[in-house]
Amino acid sequence: MTNDHLRTSRRGLFLGAAALATAPRLVFASTEAETRHAADAPIEDAARLSDRIQPYGPHQAGITTPRPANGMIASFHVLADNPADLERLFRRLTDRIIVLTKGGPVPELDPKLPPSDSGILGPVLTPDALTVTVGLGASLFEDRPWLQPAKPRALVRMAQFRNDALIADLCHGDLVIQLCANTQDTVIHALRDIVKSIPDQLVLKWAQAGNVPVISPPPGAPPESARNLLGFRDGSANPDSADASLMDTVVWVGPANDEPDWATGGSYMAVRIIRNNVERWDRTPLLEQERIFGRTKITGAPLDHPHGTEAMAPDFAADPHGKVTPLDSHIRMANPRTPASKANLILRRPFNYVNGVLKNGQLDQGLLFICWQADIEKGFITVQRRLDGEPLEEYIKPVGGGYFFALPGFAEGGDDFLGRTLIAALSPTSQDSSQSGLSTSQAQN
Amino acid sequence: MRMFALTAVAGLLAATGSQAAETLDLVGPVSEYKLFVSEQTDLLVEDTEAFVAAVNSGDVEKAKALFAPTRQHYEMIEPIAELFSDLDVAIDSRADDYEKAEADPDFPGFHRIEYGLWEHNSTEGLTPVADQLLANVQDLQGRIESLPFPPEVVVGGAAVLMEEVAATKISGEEDRYSHTDLWDFKGNFDGSQKIVELVKPLIADQDPAFVRQVDANFAVIDTTLAKYEEGEGYVTYDKLTEQDRVKLAAAVNALAEDLSTLRGKLGLD
Ligand code: HEM
Ligand SMILES: [Cu+2]
Repeated sequence: MTNDHLRTSRRGLFLGAAALATAPRLVFASTEAETRHAADAPIEDAARLSDRIQPYGPHQAGITTPRPANGMIASFHVLADNPADLERLFRRLTDRIIVLTKGGPVPELDPKLPPSDSGILGPVLTPDALTVTVGLGASLFEDRPWLQPAKPRALVRMAQFRNDALIADLCHGDLVIQLCANTQDTVIHALRDIVKSIPDQLVLKWAQAGNVPVISPPPGAPPESARNLLGFRDGSANPDSADASLMDTVVWVGPANDEPDWATGGSYMAVRIIRNNVERWDRTPLLEQERIFGRTKITGAPLDHPHGTEAMAPDFAADPHGKVTPLDSHIRMANPRTPASKANLILRRPFNYVNGVLKNGQLDQGLLFICWQADIEKGFITVQRRLDGEPLEEYIKPVGGGYFFALPGFAEGGDDFLGRTLIAALSPTSQDSSQSGLSTSQAQN
Repeated sequence: MRMFALTAVAGLLAATGSQAAETLDLVGPVSEYKLFVSEQTDLLVEDTEAFVAAVNSGDVEKAKALFAPTRQHYEMIEPIAELFSDLDVAIDSRADDYEKAEADPDFPGFHRIEYGLWEHNSTEGLTPVADQLLANVQDLQGRIESLPFPPEVVVGGAAVLMEEVAATKISGEEDRYSHTDLWDFKGNFDGSQKIVELVKPLIADQDPAFVRQVDANFAVIDTTLAKYEEGEGYVTYDKLTEQDRVKLAAAVNALAEDLSTLRGKLGLD
């Protein structure tokens, strides 16, 4: 293992002060939060209803933000016939995001009217580390001639991969909202609030909730990635989400990405609802499970450092025939760790889901896979193509999801709102909106 | 339809309702609504007679043709009709309401006949179901006649009809064998709009923005449905484009939100 291997790992880098500057600011009671990463397991007793994550900044919150225990993806049809409609929708969403992530007393109405709030969090909303992240699907642009020219270059409708068995009712959408919070109640409350507040412009298409297990590490122990429903630590090799300059390359759209100006600071989001055949998995020998992933089950250490830690990077070059880490193991196919494959890094921030029982009597459980990247073709699509045919496929079945483009962030105060740069790019008065206004020639920073 | 036991509630509301109406100038609208409901109920009985006759004479095509227009009257007055939960179940329940679904011997009413007509293209075995349907519809007529109309139920009915559409119609589950859902839509919307029109003068001055928004959403529904008119009625629900389904859903959800405040706006509990 060389230093170079560590450089792309979230564990390897000391967290500099600069790293926090562009990340959505987390106002936690404990300072420990500052060293946490996107896919670290939430710590028992560390989460507070008063935890507040600012929604403001150059990027939306909920992407590099350390993942709380609960999350949900909700996908909507959008009703917007012109730029003014779309702006109205974005402004209304922004209003709700500000209210919901801040907390505070719920307005009281005449009791002869339906209450303004579902009430499930009580009369005073608590922020509970809520983040609300909004992404746009290809259909939003493609179905509207006036919006078509502003479509992010790499945004496409999710196509079927080899092992997929997609269910139409669980796929795609004009607009997606990712909700994350410490508790499930806060997530549900936020969804109910948004559905109730914007009934004429957002029609729910599908939603999937998930969560990750909370852990109780001994004092001073390094952070651990949360386990998925196959019992493995998931997130170990993620790029360091606290490293702002790495995130600028891996996650955030910038000048290098050949995207419309308005998209600067946004990010591509791949969502996949992936069923796990957990009964069969639980009947698979441990060594085989570990060979399928290329990591050990208990610690997440790579197979070439079986007594090491999940923070260690495997050295595939030293094992060209896959004697230790099989060539078709999940981690080796997903990231062969060649100089070229650095271009395909993604930030994974998934949740586990549990939906009840399938028709065949087996458990309907799986991974609400969510990953973020500055270019979805180089990121998720390339990685998934590499994974096509992996032995893990025997145990997983992708059934839903979609690709979305998460809007750039918005600033506190002023007249800023989520999606303002997109709306400005559509306006006939904005400079050259039909041509160079939508190119990267004048990247904002 | 809704499977809640609303009969008891109806009695309760009937007892407290009438003074509220006097204080709120609702006497006029409520009695006009009662007239509307009784007209529609008469038409329902009349049309059901013809529908049942067609079923009983084995005329599948005629029965199919009469199914949707007959139901439409029921859908129009659903907020009142469903106050009698026993009859609502008997007239308008769906296969999902029964453990054995279509195979359940207790599955009655319009949708049981719809199932036979469309899925089996036959009236076989439907006579007892049809006769019972007619008896129930006649029973409904009698009960509605002697029902005092509580204003909160009348006004609340505008929203109830939207909830009905949102919960069971938009998915195309209501008339799943015949796909005549758009007729039901039309009945529910007209029933709701009737109520809004009747009370509109009472809120127009105080809340013009509300009235404008409600009217706009009804207009969206009207223009969207108009695209699917055919003959005296509508094309089958599967012809509805995804885009128009979403448009209807958004208008229905927005109306359901807005109309849920109508009772409160009129000072009714
Ligand atoms: C149910 C489905 C999946 C399960 C259970 C799963 C599980 C895992 C596990 C246990 C690891 C090793 C620990 C880690 O680095 O996080 C891992 C790594 C990884 N997975 Fe997955 N994964 C799934 C689907 C996917 C998909 C759909 C993709 C992307 C297309 C993906 C991309 C990756 C990548 C890039 C790595 C890190 C490889 C490395 O850099 O070493 N995984 N996954
Ligand atoms: Cu009904």
